[in-house]
Amino acid sequence: MSAKFDLNDDSLVVIVGSGAGGGTMANELAQKGVKCVVLEAGKTLSLDDIENDEWAMFSKISWLDKRFSAGGWHGAVNHPGLPAWIVKGLGGSTVHWAGVSIRFQEHEFKMKTTNGEVVGANVIDWPITLAELEPYYDKAELKMGTTGDVTGMPHLPWSADFKVLAEGARRIGYTKMIAGPMSINSVDRDGRPACQQIGFCMQGCKLGAKWSTLYTELPKAVETGNCEIRTNCMVLTIEHDKSGKVTGVVYADADGKQQRQKARVVCVAGNSIESPRLLLNSASNMFPDGLANSSGQVGRNYMTHMTAGVYAVMPGEVHMNRGTAVAGIVRDEAHNDPKRGFVAGYTIEKLALGLGFLSAFLVPGPTGWGRKVSGALEKYKYMSGVWICGEDLPQEQNRIALHPTEKDQYGLPAPVVYKTDHPNDTNMRIHAYQQMEKIYNSLGSTEIYNLPAYPASHNMGTNRMSEKPRDGVLNKWGQSHDIKNLFVSDGSQFSSSGSPNPTLTIVALTIRQAEYLAEEMKRGNV
Amino acid sequence: MYNPLLQIGGSALACPDVTRRRLLKSMMFVTAALALPALPPDAVAAPLSADQKTTLFRLARDIYPHEGFLDDTPYQAVVDAIIVEAEGSPAVADLLSKGLADLEERSQRIYKTNYTAIPKPEEREGVLRSIELTDFFQKIKGGLLMGLYNNKELWPKFGYDGSSWETGGFIDKGFDKIDWF
Ligand SMILES: Cc1cc2nc3c(=O)[nH]c(=O)nc-3n(C[C@H](O)[C@H](O)[C@H](O)COP(=O)(O)OP(=O)(O)OC[C@H]3O[C@@H](n4cnc5c(N)ncnc54)[C@H](O)[C@@H]3O)c2cc1C
Ligand code: SF4
Repeated sequence: MSAKFDLNDDSLVVIVGSGAGGGTMANELAQKGVKCVVLEAGKTLSLDDIENDEWAMFSKISWLDKRFSAGGWHGAVNHPGLPAWIVKGLGGSTVHWAGVSIRFQEHEFKMKTTNGEVVGANVIDWPITLAELEPYYDKAELKMGTTGDVTGMPHLPWSADFKVLAEGARRIGYTKMIAGPMSINSVDRDGRPACQQIGFCMQGCKLGAKWSTLYTELPKAVETGNCEIRTNCMVLTIEHDKSGKVTGVVYADADGKQQRQKARVVCVAGNSIESPRLLLNSASNMFPDGLANSSGQVGRNYMTHMTAGVYAVMPGEVHMNRGTAVAGIVRDEAHNDPKRGFVAGYTIEKLALGLGFLSAFLVPGPTGWGRKVSGALEKYKYMSGVWICGEDLPQEQNRIALHPTEKDQYGLPAPVVYKTDHPNDTNMRIHAYQQMEKIYNSLGSTEIYNLPAYPASHNMGTNRMSEKPRDGVLNKWGQSHDIKNLFVSDGSQFSSSGSPNPTLTIVALTIRQAEYLAEEMKRGNV
Repeated sequence: MYNPLLQIGGSALACPDVTRRRLLKSMMFVTAALALPALPPDAVAAPLSADQKTTLFRLARDIYPHEGFLDDTPYQAVVDAIIVEAEGSPAVADLLSKGLADLEERSQRIYKTNYTAIPKPEEREGVLRSIELTDFFQKIKGGLLMGLYNNKELWPKFGYDGSSWETGGFIDKGFDKIDWF
C-alpha cells in the first residue's frame, strides 16, 4: 500500500530522484521503517512502455531538458544540447543501463596514494576503502541479482558477438575475458525471469530480467507502506532554516504548480548533473554559493569515464544485435601501470548497437555522412564492436555551472556541462584504440572505426566525498560536510571515477548510507 | 537555438514511418526551435522547380550513397516529405531554395556545370563537404539518417533484425552461433 504523506509532515526523508541511488535509498529506508517520499521529475513508466526500438525509447525517456555541452570534448560541437545520455523517468537511468556490475579495485579508492600528484588533475583518495565497502558490495549484488559468486548465479552464456571479441583478445595474449558480472538474471530469480537474449538492454528490458529500480526497489519500497512516490515532480530548490539545517524542498508538480514538502532529511539523487545543479540553484543569503558548497567543489570534478568506441567489419557474419547489449568484458587493461603512458586503467566492454544508433554514432555529428559511413553500414551484420570505459581523472574546471541567461522549462538556470580531456585520458584512449586494432587485425579485420565518446552515460564526482571538508562536499557517508541533514545518494559522491561502471558502487554506497542515516535518525543526530 | 537531437538524430523531418512520427511529436519543442530564418508573415513559398527537385534527390543519394544496395524509393520518400513540408512552410521553402542556389553556385564556380552534371561521386562529395555545416544540408542529412537507417522496411537489407521480444529473443535462435574462426 502506498503511503500518502502530508506536505507539512516534517518527519520524512525526502529523496530527490528514483534511479540507482534514489530508488535504492527509498527501499532501504522503507524496509527499516523510515518514512520517505520520492520526488521524481520524470513520468511513471512500466514494462508496457518498453519497446525494442532505439530512437523510440531514446525520445520517450531520455532527459531532454535544456542543457549545454561545453569545454574541449568533441561533444561541445557534435552534441551541443546533449552532454549526457540519461533518463528522466521513474527508475532513472537504471531503465536504460546495460547491467555491467564491476567492483572497484582496491587501488581505485586510493588514486592519490597510488600515483601521487598528477599535474592538471585534482586527485584525492576516497575517505573509504575497499575493505569497508566489501560487505555492501555483497549486499548490492544480492539485491541487484548480479551474476557471480555472491548470488551463485552463473554468468550469461557467451553470445556469438562476445566470442568474436574474446577470440581476438585471446590471440593478442589477453586472458581476462568474462561474460559478467552483470545484474541480469541468467536464471529466474527474485520474481524476475531469466534473460532471453532479446538484445535491447539499453532501451529497457522488456522482460525485467535486468535489474532496474523501476520494478524492484521502488515497488518493494511502496509495498512496505513507508514510502510514497510522486512522479512528474521536479525539485526546484532545497530550503533551510536559520541554523543552516535543511527543512524541505520546493517542487513543481505534474500541473506545474509549486509545492513545498517539509522534510527532516533530504537525500539528493538526481544524477551528477542535476544534483549539483539543485544545490547551486538553492543558493540563499546564508549560502550564497549554493548549499553544501563551503569548499567550492559543488559541481566540480565532473567525470564521465574516459570512453571511446571501436567497431570493425569482420570476415564473417556476427549479428551483434542478437543477444545482450553488453555480452561480456575484457579486463586485461584494468590495472594501474603508468608504464603504458597513463595512470589508472580501462575495461573493454562488448557493446552491440542497432543500425539506428550505429548510423548516428559511427561518425557522430554534422560531418558523419558520405561513402565511408554508408559503406560501413551496408556491412552491419559483419560488424562487431566495443565500448572502452576507463578511469577519468577529476579536474576542477570540468564542471556543472549555471547558465547566466538560459533557463529550462521550470524557469531554472540551465546547466552548462564543461568537459575537457586530461592528457591522461587522451593517452589512455590512444592505447585502447591500438589494442583494439591488434585484436581486430588478429581476426582478419582491416576495416576498423574509432569512435569518440558518446554523450555521457556515466556521470560522477560533482559532489565528491573527501576526508577533509576543503577538498570535497561530502563526508564518507555521503553526508554534507556543511549541513548534517543533507545527503547525496548518487554517483556525484565519487571521489574518483575508477574504471568500473558506476552503478554497483552507487548501490553499495547507498545501502551503507541508508544504514548510517537510519541509525543517526534513531540517535537523534539528524 | 536549442536542439539536442539535431546533431545526434538529425533534424529528421522526413521519415514516413510511425516511429518517426511519434519521435517527432514528442520532440515538437525541439523542431520548433530549429534555426530557420525569420520571414515576414506574408512571404509566399515559391514551389520548387522540377530541376531543383532533381538536384535535391541527387544530393540525397550522395549524402548516404548505397549504389546497387538501396534503390531510389527510400531517398525519394525522404525528399518528397521535405518538399511537402516546404509547401506548407515558407521558412523551409526558403531554406531549400537558398541552399540549392548556393550548391549550384559552388558547382558552377568549381566545375562549370550544374551539381547533377558533375560526373564523379567524389567530386560531388567534395562540393557537399563545403556546405555540410549549413542548416540546409543538415536538414536533408537528418531526414535521411532516419529515413534510411531507422526505417524498419529496410532493416532486412542491412541484416538488422529489429524488435525481437515478441518472438522470444534469440536465446533459441542462434545468438551464440559463430563458425568462421
Ligand atoms: C545507456 C546506458 C547504459 C548504461 N550502462 C551501465 C552499465 O552497464 N553499468 C553501470 O554501472 N552503469 C551503467 N549506466 C549508468 C547508470 O545508469 C547510472 O550510473 C546510474 O543509473 C546513476 O544513478 P543515479 O541515481 O545517480 O541517477 P539516475 O539513475 O539517472 O537517476 C536520477 C533520477 O533523478 C531524477 N531527477 C533529476 N533531477 C531531479 C529533480 N531536480 N527533481 C526530481 N527528480 C530529479 C531523474 O529524472 C532520474 O530519474 C548506463 C547508463 C546509460 C544511459
Ligand atoms: S538481452 Fe536479456 S537483459 Fe537485455 S533486454 Fe533482453 S532479456 Fe533483458
